[in-house]
Amino acid sequence: MSYVTASGLTRQYDLSDPWFIRMITGRKANVLTAVNQVSFSIEKGTTYALVGESGSGKSTIAKMLAGVLAPSQGSVQIDGHDFNNPRLDNANKKMLRQRVQMVFQSPYASLNPRWKIGDILLEPINAFNLIEDKATRQKRVIELLEQVGMSAHDQTKYPHEFSGGQRQRISIARALACHPELIICDEPTSALDVSVQAQVLNLLKDLQQENGLTYLFISHDLAVISTMANKIGVLKDGELVEEGETSGLLANPQHAYTKMLLAAAPDIGAYIS
Amino acid sequence: MRRFLQSDLFYSFRYSPVAIVSFVIIVFIILTAIFADLIAPNNPFDPASLNLMNGFTPPMQANDFTGETFLMGTDDQGRDLFSTILYGLRISLFVGVMAVMLAMLLGVMLGLVAGFVGGWIDSFIMRFADIQMTFPSILVAMLIYGVAKGILPPEVRYEMSIAVLIMSIGLSEWVPFARTVRGSTLVEKEKEYIIAAKMVGLSRYQIMIRHILPNVLSPVLVIATITFALAIIAEATLSFLGVGVPTTKPSLGTLIRIGQDFLFSGEWWILFFPAVTLLAFALSINLFGDWLRDTLNPKLK
Ligand SMILES: Nc1ncnc2c1ncn2[C@@H]1O[C@H](COP(=O)(O)OP(=O)(O)OP(=O)(O)O)[C@@H](O)[C@H]1O
Ligand SMILES: [Mg+2]
Repeated sequence: MSYVTASGLTRQYDLSDPWFIRMITGRKANVLTAVNQVSFSIEKGTTYALVGESGSGKSTIAKMLAGVLAPSQGSVQIDGHDFNNPRLDNANKKMLRQRVQMVFQSPYASLNPRWKIGDILLEPINAFNLIEDKATRQKRVIELLEQVGMSAHDQTKYPHEFSGGQRQRISIARALACHPELIICDEPTSALDVSVQAQVLNLLKDLQQENGLTYLFISHDLAVISTMANKIGVLKDGELVEEGETSGLLANPQHAYTKMLLAAAPDIGAYIS
Repeated sequence: MRRFLQSDLFYSFRYSPVAIVSFVIIVFIILTAIFADLIAPNNPFDPASLNLMNGFTPPMQANDFTGETFLMGTDDQGRDLFSTILYGLRISLFVGVMAVMLAMLLGVMLGLVAGFVGGWIDSFIMRFADIQMTFPSILVAMLIYGVAKGILPPEVRYEMSIAVLIMSIGLSEWVPFARTVRGSTLVEKEKEYIIAAKMVGLSRYQIMIRHILPNVLSPVLVIATITFALAIIAEATLSFLGVGVPTTKPSLGTLIRIGQDFLFSGEWWILFFPAVTLLAFALSINLFGDWLRDTLNPKLK
């Protein structure tokens, strides 16, 4: 069985006015379907990439997989468990939370500006009661920092003392802190310079190999995705229009929208040949 | 401390004459109020030390009967005005500080909850704030004061009058805190570090207190300074109107009220010195608050 299974995932946002305003003005209800009947699955230890332009519903899917947004319809199973299963008890919910972590797009908004790096990394460790002993906890923080190429004395600094690329590394370290199995990367490099992008992508790949991580990798950049993904899903206006193994999909796109995305990313040609 | 001396805040402070002067006045007045026992030549709250013969002595002139001289003269009961102002300042400052703390606590809490929880709780709190804001805050304070006095049994009314005063001023000034904090909370709660906190299973309460609160507090300091000036003036106004602190322990407002009775019979100093003190203090706090606002957040100008 696949590690992640999303089936018929749908999310609607109600953008209509309150009912009494609608009564007076005669306006109709206005419901936006951000994600519509999306189904896919991710094998353990592989990377599934979602590609699509801005507003296509990528982040909405990410939040539903992360268990912070409830689907309007459909469900997500992670290792056989569902965040929105009403019968899921607190202990199991906690266990499930520990398995899924996220790396975000904005290096600025993803770290609390008032917290020191050390405290940011300790938060997941403390939240899941992973380490009782204080000295061991400190050691773990240093280990995490070194794992992402930062140094031990960075733990006493605040986020504003770091560059965008360094902050993404800290974000990755936080995601790793509770030994997750699935990491959702929502455009983790789109705010970074190209040279820094490559470093962060390589770090993610190394970590995946070392720890057998499963990734949901979100991007609007096919060039980035082609180097990361085993499988790609193409998202357009909230619907999954095409899906396939990376090499096959890039070499032989079926849907017009995929062809258009490919045409807009000229350096992909190098990858295919 | 060294970090503070090197900060932008301190740098801007050194080059702002308005900030320096107002800060010096504020500190000077606060210190004289705190050390009133040491500085004041008399204790105006001790009826035994008063001599009615000393009444209405003009400033820096010997009294006709007793021959005593007073820096700022005396009032109708022979109280040394200088000492009375020092002790009165103490009451005004205490009421002001406590009222601001109450307003801040209430406003920050309600603003945080309204912004973070949203929905009908948000609407309820903010509509209530809107309604309260349509009344002048001194009217709200008088209303609360009246209700509180009515509820309290007569025997504790006198002792509780300062607590009631603090409550009525505090409850009439929470709205600006709540509005600002709610606004910043709405911005903060959409940021990705909040999602990260949710993903490790933190409760809403923990997210509000640990993550959002530290990020919405910086404008609160500015509002607190300006509200402090408002609270001092509100206390003076209430006492002036005779609903504040009792005349046996006069605050600045009480002194101004007493002085007003004698202004047209030539005893100008009873009104003049307390009024100047109040003016200098409230003005300095306001100027300092303005400077603080401009420095901490240039966008608010
Ligand atoms: N809380 C919300 N309320 C209303 N509409 C929303 C909300 N969140 C997202 N949407 C809408 O849902 C759609 C999909 O948004 P989503 O953030 O998933 O897009 P995205 O693919 O991640 O885009 P981007 O590349 O810009 O991050 C958009 O049209 C967006 O306006
Ligand atoms: Mg997005």
